[in-house]
Amino acid sequence: MSETLAIEVRGLTKSFGSAHALNGLDLSVATGTVAGFLGPNGSGKSTTIRILLGLLKADGGTAALLGGDPWRDAVELHRRLAYVPGDVTLWPNLTGGQAIDILSKLHGRVDRKRIDEYLQRFDLDPSKKARSYSKGNRQKVALVAALASQAELLIFDEPTSGLDPLMEGVFTQCVLEARGAGQSVLLSSHIFAEVEKLCDTVTIIRQGRTVEAGVLSELRHLQRATITVSLDGSPTALSKLAGVHDLTADGSRVTFSVDDSAMSEVLTELASLGPSALVSEPPSLEELFLRHYSATSDAAVDA
Amino acid sequence: MNDFANWTLAFRFLLRRNWVRMLVWALVLAGLIAIVIVSQRQTFPTQASREAYAAIANTPAVAALTGLPYAAGTLGGILNIKIWMTDALALAFAVIFLVTRNGRAEEEQGRTELLRAGALGRHAYTLASWLLTAAFTVVVGLATAGAAIAEKLPASGAIVMGASFTGVGLAFLGIAALAGELSQTSRGANGIAVVVLAVAYLLRAGGDLAATNDVPSGLSWASPLGWGQAMRSFGSNNWWPFLLLVGSGVFLCGIALRLQATRDLGAGILPDRPGPRTASALTQTPAGLTLRLQRWSIVGWAIGVAIGGLFFGTVATAMTKLLSGNKTAVAAILGQQKNVVSGLLGYFTMADALLIAAFALGSVATIRSEEADGSVELQWTSAISRLRWAASRIVVPGVASLAMLALSGWAEGASYGAAIHDPTQAGRYAALALAYWPTILLIIGLVVILDGWLPRASLTISWIVYGVLVFVSMFGELLKLPTRVTNVTPFTAIERLSTGHFTALPLIIITVLAIILGAVGLFRLRSRDLVVG
Repeated sequence: MSETLAIEVRGLTKSFGSAHALNGLDLSVATGTVAGFLGPNGSGKSTTIRILLGLLKADGGTAALLGGDPWRDAVELHRRLAYVPGDVTLWPNLTGGQAIDILSKLHGRVDRKRIDEYLQRFDLDPSKKARSYSKGNRQKVALVAALASQAELLIFDEPTSGLDPLMEGVFTQCVLEARGAGQSVLLSSHIFAEVEKLCDTVTIIRQGRTVEAGVLSELRHLQRATITVSLDGSPTALSKLAGVHDLTADGSRVTFSVDDSAMSEVLTELASLGPSALVSEPPSLEELFLRHYSATSDAAVDA
Repeated sequence: MNDFANWTLAFRFLLRRNWVRMLVWALVLAGLIAIVIVSQRQTFPTQASREAYAAIANTPAVAALTGLPYAAGTLGGILNIKIWMTDALALAFAVIFLVTRNGRAEEEQGRTELLRAGALGRHAYTLASWLLTAAFTVVVGLATAGAAIAEKLPASGAIVMGASFTGVGLAFLGIAALAGELSQTSRGANGIAVVVLAVAYLLRAGGDLAATNDVPSGLSWASPLGWGQAMRSFGSNNWWPFLLLVGSGVFLCGIALRLQATRDLGAGILPDRPGPRTASALTQTPAGLTLRLQRWSIVGWAIGVAIGGLFFGTVATAMTKLLSGNKTAVAAILGQQKNVVSGLLGYFTMADALLIAAFALGSVATIRSEEADGSVELQWTSAISRLRWAASRIVVPGVASLAMLALSGWAEGASYGAAIHDPTQAGRYAALALAYWPTILLIIGLVVILDGWLPRASLTISWIVYGVLVFVSMFGELLKLPTRVTNVTPFTAIERLSTGHFTALPLIIITVLAIILGAVGLFRLRSRDLVVG
């Protein structure tokens, strides 16, 4: 197994009865990087994560975690990773502080100084009983325990779904610090801004299959930019070019999207039309994401 | 009446959610009545045999456990002695669990919030749940009365008996409703109501033990169970204690409603105090965590079985006094004093062991419930193997049940020994009770193997098996079950050591079985997928 990959998954399959949750999923996370893991609800993100954590046993394919087998070497591997589920269930009768200590101890040791630091940053009262915590506060308990553990690998399954924007900011900062300290991170999320800000690479899955994977900047490269421009001439010629899509004109103002591969051809044509006030927007992750989410837009991508 | 808006909608919804379990309870409670009538008609076929029984029925054991035998010369009176208390207690438990399930538990899980955000009055759901439970007690009353009438007992007595069940159910409906307002958790609410039920049982036991002829002492009037007994079905058929039962239920529900109007959703009247900011070194270990999570449950059960032991010892003592008196006729019929008393003590030891088995089952059930509710996810992804994790959930009920057996046996022997001036009885009965430890381990093993192979159904099956075992162990003789059945069930297979000789074979077989079940279950738990829900 490669030392440079914290997670390496190839052709993973898993079925629950007749339902196929994973159909040959690939996923890699390089050591010391933050990897985004995206996909619609029910696409198999949590199943993949549970296989990586040794909670479920894969039917086929290979999965390596920190150089070990996630099922066979579960206990040794768990010493070196920390996990925050999307829906954190705690012991209702214990306080948040007690839960953090227990989880930390189960991982190895209780680092009081780091725990106190993260308690303060996440503004969590550790003396309250877990049953009185909101969803966000329960997530904070798991986040504090995970971040304080200094594990080599952090696995987050929608970790900020219950946090307010301020705490999301704190989380972002903590993840960047973790990467700075050489920790690897797998981050499953629905929040595009978060993924854009944090992730070095992105894997997008649908129906248990990887449909897009790579470095974020390269993925954007494959996609279309949106250009808005005022033209003196008629845009008809533009619309006939291959690589130009969805052209709309509002008086002299024209908006269209263009494939990166056709960019120089389009710009040459554009220059002859007397352009002014040209704005080019790179594709947002959200666009990229939504394109992969719905089957109909899939067809558009292929066309 | 905006506070109760749309309560009929809530009522229909609750009926849909609960009708199966209510139907099962009603059928079991009415079925017990029918079965006992049939079996007692065989036991006492003639009026002469019933009168002979009446002459000796008034023993302290009968008085303390089931109430005064005021009409033991009739089949209805015998029915009362044999099953009234069991049915009344079972109905009280059913009502308590129903009220908590549809009240505090829903609120705790946040479902009430969702419902109340709809076009539902503030108290509509609560009112609907209480009315449904009240209707359930009425159905049980009608069904039990109907069963007795169908078995050709006098209708007047049968109807009073049914009404006494309904009344007891309504009184505990009020108690459970109030408990649900006081406690913030469903466990707490059930705990408070069950403690009240236990106190009510002991108060009337005291009243019946201190009776003059067949009139209990004033103590009984402090207990709703005592009021139910005072209706004297198949005896003088009093209706007026029924008003007391219904009135107390309505009154307590009224108080509960007032309390609900003054508190926030999700809050309890008893405050939730802040706890420690850090976990102690013990709580940080897996077994220590189990102990910490269950400490009040363990303490509560230990106190309960100790009181049970003291109570049983007292009953045996009263029997001794009766038999050592001049009532040679009684002694002649009941047999030799020593055998009767030690037989009774052996039966009580088994009863305490059954209670402790319920504790062990509930305790080891967390092995499943923590996986179902998802809280194992954070633990199984820690540096602890599933085996070690499971072991920490098994060892606590294992050791605690051993200690509880010793404690309950010691309490039983001590109170009996004090009466017969024999201090060695405490240690003797503590040791005798330990003979049930393998059986309790077998119950734990059953939960473990089911958790491994049939996780979703495991707890339901375990409790059904436990219920059957209680039934066969406690009522096997009453219902005339064949000995080839009673000889092989794990509680009855243990020789009643107080009378019998020590035979190691059943203990060995049961221990080996328990180990096999546990090992096969753990083996499977290690190799199967996580099963949430």
